[in-house]
Amino acid sequence: MISAGNDIVALNLVDKERTNLPAFYSKFITPDELSLHQDLTISFENFVWLLWSVKESAYKYLKRGDEHLVFSPSKLIVQKLLVSPESDTNLLDMDKLIDAYYNGVVSTGISTIEFKSAINNLFIATIINEGDVYWGVKTIDSGDYHDQSNSVRLFALAKLNGIIVTDDLWIDKHPSGYPFILNGAHPLDIPISFAHHGCYVSYAFQLPK
Amino acid sequence: MDRKEILIELKKVLAPYTESKEMLDGINEDTDLIKDLKINSANLVDIIIDAEAQYNIEIDFDAAEKMYNVGNCIDVIADKINKPA
Repeated sequence: MISAGNDIVALNLVDKERTNLPAFYSKFITPDELSLHQDLTISFENFVWLLWSVKESAYKYLKRGDEHLVFSPSKLIVQKLLVSPESDTNLLDMDKLIDAYYNGVVSTGISTIEFKSAINNLFIATIINEGDVYWGVKTIDSGDYHDQSNSVRLFALAKLNGIIVTDDLWIDKHPSGYPFILNGAHPLDIPISFAHHGCYVSYAFQLPK
Repeated sequence: MDRKEILIELKKVLAPYTESKEMLDGINEDTDLIKDLKINSANLVDIIIDAEAQYNIEIDFDAAEKMYNVGNCIDVIADKINKPA
């Protein structure tokens, strides 16, 4: 399936104390997934939000192929989570330094898909890393919903306009909720996903082979 | 507690997580938490935890996954409230 899925979590907006409570993280993290933390140096609260961002990204990726899919984070199981080598990270277009990259595999119950995550002290960003993925993360001035929505579209279009030679690209929203790219009146076969939280926005899109 | 009473309490649970205060005032059972109330998905677990505290119930994995619109939230809460301990 050709699709796109991403997520971003603004760490200043999460309740760290609540994140550490079993009553919180056990709502979407399984005991097997918890055991992945023991091999990593990442803080527990960042680990929890990293897994959340992976599951959210996987849901968006799958939703494009199944409009009636319901977000079931406890059924999207992170099976592998590893620290990435830095040389493996040249796909990210962003305006902040990253402290660490992670990659891994999430099971959908039917198949598995690969993901990649970037972490610093400000945010955790994730993409589903299947195919030729372009990924951007940007800081914006306002966390207002409309500003987030407009900013991430402009950010993605700036990247797309550097790749596709046309002056008529724009982005619409499917009734199911996911964004899609058009050239004039013609939808393009370039799946795109947006994420925003607080003053951070992120896009991911996949070019056809 | 009937569905109308649950809805009134549910508004208090949702209020901290939405910028759409006007939309919150007019919510009905079809209101989608993310699409209509513009609640960030990162707050969905917060809402479940807050609902557990508000109604003194426990919401498990399977029930939590249904809570994507107001009607479904009320279904889950009503079911838990009316279930004998």
